[in-house]
Amino acid sequence: MPAKLPPGESDAYLRLAGIRKTFPGVVANDDVDLTVRRGEVHALLGENGAGKSTLMKVLYGLYEPDAGTITLDGERLDLDSPQDAIDSGIGMVHQHFMLIPRLTVAENVVLGDRSHAAREFTWPADLTDSLRGLPGAGVGARLASPARARLPDLGRAADRAASLPGVGTVLGAIERGVVGTTNALTLDLSAPSERIREFAAEYGVDVAPDAPVWDLDVGGRQRVEILKTLYRDVELLVLDEPTAVLAPAEAERLFETLRDLADSGITVIFITHKLDEVGAIADRVTVLRDGQRVDTVPVDSVSRDDLARMMVGRDVLFDVDRPPAAVGDPVLAADGLETTDQRGVGVLSGVDLSVRSGEVLGIAGVSGNGQTHLAACLVGVRDPDAGTVTVGGRDRTGAGPRAFLEAGVSYVPEDRVAEATVPDLSVMHNLMLKSYRADSDRGRIDYGAAAARAERLVEEFDIRGVRDVRETPAGDLSGGNLQKLVLARELSRDPDVLVAHQPTRGVDVGAVEFLRSTILDQRASGTGVVLLSEDLDEVFAMSDRIAVISEGRFVAETTPEEADPETVGLWMGGERTPGDAAADRPGATARPDGGGE
Amino acid sequence: MVGGYELTVSAREDVPRWLAYGTPVLTVLGALAVGAVALLALGVDPVAAYGTMFVGTLTSEFGVSQTLLRAVPLALTGLAVYLPLRAGLWNIGAEGQLYLGAIAGTWVGLNVDAPGVVLVPLVLFGGGVAGGLWGLVPGLLRARRGVNEIIVTLMLTFVGVELAGYLVRGPMRGGEGNFPVSAELPAAALLPELGTVHAGVLVALVATVAVRLLITRTTTGYEVVVTGSNADAADTAGVDVEWVYVFVLVAGGALAGLAGAIEIAGLQEKLRPNFSPGYGFTAIPIALLGRRGALRVGLASLFFAVLVVGGSSMELEFGVPAALVEVIQALVILFLITAEFFKRYRIGVERTRETAPVPAGEGS
Repeated sequence: MPAKLPPGESDAYLRLAGIRKTFPGVVANDDVDLTVRRGEVHALLGENGAGKSTLMKVLYGLYEPDAGTITLDGERLDLDSPQDAIDSGIGMVHQHFMLIPRLTVAENVVLGDRSHAAREFTWPADLTDSLRGLPGAGVGARLASPARARLPDLGRAADRAASLPGVGTVLGAIERGVVGTTNALTLDLSAPSERIREFAAEYGVDVAPDAPVWDLDVGGRQRVEILKTLYRDVELLVLDEPTAVLAPAEAERLFETLRDLADSGITVIFITHKLDEVGAIADRVTVLRDGQRVDTVPVDSVSRDDLARMMVGRDVLFDVDRPPAAVGDPVLAADGLETTDQRGVGVLSGVDLSVRSGEVLGIAGVSGNGQTHLAACLVGVRDPDAGTVTVGGRDRTGAGPRAFLEAGVSYVPEDRVAEATVPDLSVMHNLMLKSYRADSDRGRIDYGAAAARAERLVEEFDIRGVRDVRETPAGDLSGGNLQKLVLARELSRDPDVLVAHQPTRGVDVGAVEFLRSTILDQRASGTGVVLLSEDLDEVFAMSDRIAVISEGRFVAETTPEEADPETVGLWMGGERTPGDAAADRPGATARPDGGGE
Repeated sequence: MVGGYELTVSAREDVPRWLAYGTPVLTVLGALAVGAVALLALGVDPVAAYGTMFVGTLTSEFGVSQTLLRAVPLALTGLAVYLPLRAGLWNIGAEGQLYLGAIAGTWVGLNVDAPGVVLVPLVLFGGGVAGGLWGLVPGLLRARRGVNEIIVTLMLTFVGVELAGYLVRGPMRGGEGNFPVSAELPAAALLPELGTVHAGVLVALVATVAVRLLITRTTTGYEVVVTGSNADAADTAGVDVEWVYVFVLVAGGALAGLAGAIEIAGLQEKLRPNFSPGYGFTAIPIALLGRRGALRVGLASLFFAVLVVGGSSMELEFGVPAALVEVIQALVILFLITAEFFKRYRIGVERTRETAPVPAGEGS
């Protein structure tokens, strides 16, 4: 189908026309057109699995399209590899960084780039001359003569040789040759470092060129990835869901950088499934759904709801329905939890909490304030240095994850790939991870029953992209569907407690709605939920009570009715609290002692 | 440039089924093909040489029984590497565990007085226990202290081999003369014969099937596989990862120890230093070739046994150095590594053409 070109499309800088890409059993891109103007920030919006990444991988030479053409600046591109794309001025920042942690920023930036890396190597001309003159002059011949080079005389012979005319020149030339060769084989990073500093000044992409990459945080690593593309004279920069790994403040900073880049004439394509980001950064947006282009529109001409509808194909409820809680007895309690990290630095310093059946306790906080340790302690994956964890009235401190699991605790960890799933194994293997013991008969597993159960859960939780539960590896699923798999596994046990850490991060809008309402359904059937999130909309939409965590302790407790997101946002940033936010609540679990210390 | 062809390398999005399943076969064929070059260089007709090696071996009764006898220790040590590999651990020390099994089996056979019905199982049991203890050390170190199992298993191999050497020169020296060899095992300690082979063939077969069932049917097998794929997720799901590590190395060690006891009670009949031609090391390529399942480990061990037995007849008939067999074994490993590349990338030949500028564009 020909592109419906809005006015002004003739000045296209990049044009993808009729791109089609199929995988066995899946049409990832179905005749997609994309037109991008020079110097604009163009958002590519769509749910997970809509074909955004596939389209960009085609543009970057990672996939070969089945049909379609790519035209950049009027020239037809034939991309066989990312190298071709880089040579054409296309740069890509992947979701998973391609950096070598042991190397410094500058070393990572020049890696793979032969043109600037090595010093010029010049073979010293005088060496050639001296060598040419040597054999005839007989110095070499005399030295090499076995008759003269008797062993005891060797040292003196060498001294004498060095004083002979010509030899000094040769040695000097050899020395220069060695130095030249060494230089040719080592990196001179002064020039690249200088350029990196210039980029830093110009675009706010500041990282120290000689800092080792392992020492950088996620935002810093992402800036190194951007630097890599800038260093290769990028003209079209593609970012694949760059904010998925960033905290809100870092995302803000990234947007500023992208703005600066666009202002200086670099064209930016920004893959995302977050509607807010489209409004915050993009000039125009192309929406993909099920591998097809829905439309390309200027961002100011559409509302958030319009975009959501285009993306999901139906109206999306941003506010999930939360009926009043039918609160029961406490199901999970923590008292005075303290932990330290590997270096012995305190992470949690005295956290108390209590969750009753049928309620959601939202824990709001900027990530990195102890949430990971707290979640791990609550499910028995980490033993606290001090304090106790009580499940269903029994002290389970130090009993290990299995005891917690068998006591009815379910867990949706922050990092679903690393902690919650086994990506190489099948969907079935992943879905049985928490129930294989209970379902086994004296140590034997009935895989037929496990497959049937897996198929039922795939159906019930609408996990897409599964061809065969026994064959499809979990790692092939998109982020949202993988998270549905985790939730399906954790909730199908009908747990008494659910600890969910960032359950909707990196998940598309349609799936977010599904995941949130599923968690609330579980609450309605009596599960006590601990929700750790830095997404305040999520915390306010889901929670019955809200505790704010900052620097390893609760600094305030409130309810969605009592507080507004702005105030909670300030508390998250460590702002001193009024102190009485929690004190007037009976059964308050947070210590309202301010966030100063 | 106007015409011409160039090789293109592109990433695969999907591993085709034939490639995933055909890898071991292609690997073996590739290794044999390169081996043929070496044969040609030696002035030997590769077809005739491989004919002797494979057809000759597999069509003579002697060849078949020799192959089976060789395959027994190879299969058991192969499983000893395979099982920890499924849990993500490298047991490089099957050779040492085999020696410990041989020492213990010999000791039981020489020092326990019982009828064959009791003594033979006792010999095998002793071998398994000793091998298992040799695996317990790296297992505990890995589980409790995170010590790299590759180093510990490898180093313990040297200890095991030298321990056997010391014992047959000292405390366990027996027989006549001053040779470093133990006394001969009594007839009651020897494995019963099954035609031209011994009962160890049955043991290896049972062990292979047992490991397969363990992996594919049991909760323990599930825990092993999950741990091998993502130990963190296994831990979060309540799998006792430390226990899994200890279990696979102890069980692997026991299988290798069993191989040692069988080798003594079935073939050697006495303990000699350096009696193993490196079964425990050949086990590593066997486990890699068969890593998709225990039955494949069994098949791979048969193949390597044919290589060894057929290699000897090739040496006799054509004067080809038997080292060529080792070359082919090494090639198998190299081709396995190469196959990983082909699983990830597709190689194509493409006609090169100049990129045609689009007429409508501004051009540059």
